[in-house]
Amino acid sequence: MEEKIAQIQKEYLEKISQSTSLKELDGLFLDIFGKNGAVTLLPKDFSKLPEDARKKVGPLFNTLKQELEKAIELKRVDVREESYKKLEGESLDLNEKTDVKSRIGLIHPLDQFEHEIVELFSKIGFQQYDAPQIDTDDFNFELLNIPAEHPARDLWDTLYIDNKPQTTSNKLLLRTHTSNAQIRILREYKPPIRMMVLGRCFRHENIDARHEHTFDQFEIVYVDKNLSMANLQYLSEYFLKSVLGEDTKVRLRPKYYPFVEPGVGIDGICIFCKGKGCKVCGGVGWLEVAGAGMMHPQVLKNGGVDPKIYTGIAWGPGLERILMLKHGINDLRLFRSGNLRFLEKFK
Amino acid sequence: MKVSIKWLKELVDLKTPVEELVRLLPLRTIGTKEVTDNFIELDMKGYNRADLLSLRGVALEAAAITNSPTGFKPAVIEQITYDADFPKVNISVEDEKLCPVYCLAKIEGLKVKPTAQEEVKKLEDSGMRTVNNVADVTNLVMLEYGQPMHAFDAEKVRGCVKVRVAKENEKITTLDGKIRDLNKEDLLIGDENEPIGIAGVMGGKDSEISENTTSILLEAAIFDPISLRKSSLRHGLYSEASRRFQHGLTKTNLLQALSTAIKMYEKLGGKLTAITLTGDLKDEVKKVKLSQSKINSLIGVEIPPNEVESSLKKLGFTLEKEGQDWEVTVPYWRMDIDIEEDLIEEVARMYGYEKIPPKELEGEMPQKIDQSFPKFIYDLKKALKEAGLTEVQTYSFYSSKTINDLRLTIYDLIKISNPISSETEYMRDNLWPNLLEVTAINIKQGYKDIAIFEIGKVYILQKGDLPKEQYRLSIALSNGTTNPVEELYRIFQGVNLPHFQGVQLSKSVTLTQKEYFHPTRFQALEDDGQTIGFIAEIHPRFVNKFGTEQRIAALEVKLVL
Repeated sequence: MEEKIAQIQKEYLEKISQSTSLKELDGLFLDIFGKNGAVTLLPKDFSKLPEDARKKVGPLFNTLKQELEKAIELKRVDVREESYKKLEGESLDLNEKTDVKSRIGLIHPLDQFEHEIVELFSKIGFQQYDAPQIDTDDFNFELLNIPAEHPARDLWDTLYIDNKPQTTSNKLLLRTHTSNAQIRILREYKPPIRMMVLGRCFRHENIDARHEHTFDQFEIVYVDKNLSMANLQYLSEYFLKSVLGEDTKVRLRPKYYPFVEPGVGIDGICIFCKGKGCKVCGGVGWLEVAGAGMMHPQVLKNGGVDPKIYTGIAWGPGLERILMLKHGINDLRLFRSGNLRFLEKFK
Repeated sequence: MKVSIKWLKELVDLKTPVEELVRLLPLRTIGTKEVTDNFIELDMKGYNRADLLSLRGVALEAAAITNSPTGFKPAVIEQITYDADFPKVNISVEDEKLCPVYCLAKIEGLKVKPTAQEEVKKLEDSGMRTVNNVADVTNLVMLEYGQPMHAFDAEKVRGCVKVRVAKENEKITTLDGKIRDLNKEDLLIGDENEPIGIAGVMGGKDSEISENTTSILLEAAIFDPISLRKSSLRHGLYSEASRRFQHGLTKTNLLQALSTAIKMYEKLGGKLTAITLTGDLKDEVKKVKLSQSKINSLIGVEIPPNEVESSLKKLGFTLEKEGQDWEVTVPYWRMDIDIEEDLIEEVARMYGYEKIPPKELEGEMPQKIDQSFPKFIYDLKKALKEAGLTEVQTYSFYSSKTINDLRLTIYDLIKISNPISSETEYMRDNLWPNLLEVTAINIKQGYKDIAIFEIGKVYILQKGDLPKEQYRLSIALSNGTTNPVEELYRIFQGVNLPHFQGVQLSKSVTLTQKEYFHPTRFQALEDDGQTIGFIAEIHPRFVNKFGTEQRIAALEVKLVL
């Protein structure tokens, strides 16, 4: 048996070293490890051996297996590297009039939706503002009335940056919401302000069909004299009727966010059961679609705006969630998977 | 917070069916997570209503929103009956900032038994398990009053009880049997010899109530929420007690809870033999001005003064009229109320947010600001779509596979200090590696022709306050031919936007990422003499690693106006 193993080893190592193509190597792999491969069949004879011989043969067999596997793997790399040398001879002529295939293109459903929202709010005077996605703890939390070690921080599990530049003493993080733009906007522009912020936000969250560490938010920062919760109700209806249909009903209810007071949660009537109560809405007939509130006077102050003269509205929906409801998408991860089978449905 | 319905009914004489309370809670107070026949679970995550972490607090709120009376008087401080010369328990508090109130009562003559069935049910409906009659008193009182309590076996505690900061390298075995390493940031309770509990987080195993316990030291305290939260997070210990400490406690509740607990122990046959109360035991009385005009303007509805008054009174506020306005006294249990806007929220929710009518936006339009960049981005997406490309979005991170297979230099990348997994540890500084990964995945799914693009931010380390974020466009093409670069270039040329009109190819540039490109098939893209990106075939050496033999071409340019 030991001889047989040595013989297989010799034979195939030689064959492997002589092969010159991936195809040949694939063939050899089957000859060795396939259903009737030389190595695959070997152990069948082991049971006939006396016990002390078996003890010897076991380790030899394992070494053989590993050696041949490794030899094929290494040879594959060699063969590939050899073939890469031929690339030197390939050319590129960008003046060549190559044909462009006709394909059906697509804007990502999330971007298409965001564009619709931007158009919708542009009509009533809102303009786009771009805030950093990597930001300081101050802009993302502290100046928004969310001090360190406050229980409210439980709402935002945060990813922090390790290698921050030494010039800043403030902790850096991946913004957990587009609200990091609020103070920047207040400091850069004088009221009246009608601004919208859009883009990627991040949370320290294990991902599954209903949870993501990366998601998009849209948010309005609206500051003027005499703004009220009635204006907030108007904005909520304006948005939801346009997005979910004219017959959509909107309901405001109390919700706590440290940077607004009063704080508001916004429900849309369940688009599946129209308010009767079903599985999607957990039987309550309503679905939470946005968070909002009257900007907290301390936040206005932190942004250099006098809360005795001005009031503000902060308002923002969860975009993926609304899209999932609208299109019956059941896995949140699909949005950033690059999966063409998913995206093609939107063509 | 799981609210036992049976228990709640003992505290409020509900004038509406429970179903109505369940309907009203999210509309007037707080969202609910789960409702069963036995309990209503309030969604307390991140909430600021510390009072709703107690049955009595919930009862007061339920009474207000359903117009029902409570079965108790909240503001009366029950007397703890002992004389000035009553024996004291020997205690010392090292730092009053970390522990403003510490009370310890010695109760003797107890016998440990199972808890009565009725109380077991209360615990179970509240999501807690019964331990024994002595330990359960602390949990029952905590649930009702929101004041955490702890009972030490008095015979296991030696000498003076000290509230102090832990020494470096001190250790304690906690109730769950785990050995915890303490440091100078942990506040602990110790006796003469060693730690007997991490303050407000968890008690020690050695002084746990056992079946032989006959006398206890009952602790009721207020600890600094911030230092307590840090300890709790560091030890990964989230208990019902630590949550309540973090949300904040009132002294009035503490005294009521302590008095109730002592009475419950007396019913079990125990006797109070010594007690010490330290710290200032009076809650600060908060007064907030409230103006009628501000109510109307912030809510956007005219709410009559008598409705303002009745709403706030139902919630336990007292009001003193000052012309059109009021001076409002905040009930001690509402620690979340500090400013006028807080009171207006109270008025608004009692009125009903859902009844606020919509009001169109008025006022002058703000000054116009430059919107050309977002417009350019959308025009570009439209043009790429017209050219037959499909937009994808990929994560802002590099997957561990991408980092390994491309042998990326991780030191150049922005690193996350607390990644969820190795898939979210490094941030992308180019888009094309993610498009390469996505292209390969789709090829494996059976796609033979792939033409995709992404527009998004990359993140680059730089000196200064924040890392650099730069918008990029990347396109990947795998068209089944052995030279997809040529078609990719034609596609890019076809994107007829003024922004790209000056873009030119350049051969003579030393591209930084050349090692990833086909040895002859790459060109720099230049605009006005500046390199703005590249077009190339990705070297098959790297493409092959992603499990495909197809040729893949990529282009990447920065987008700056």
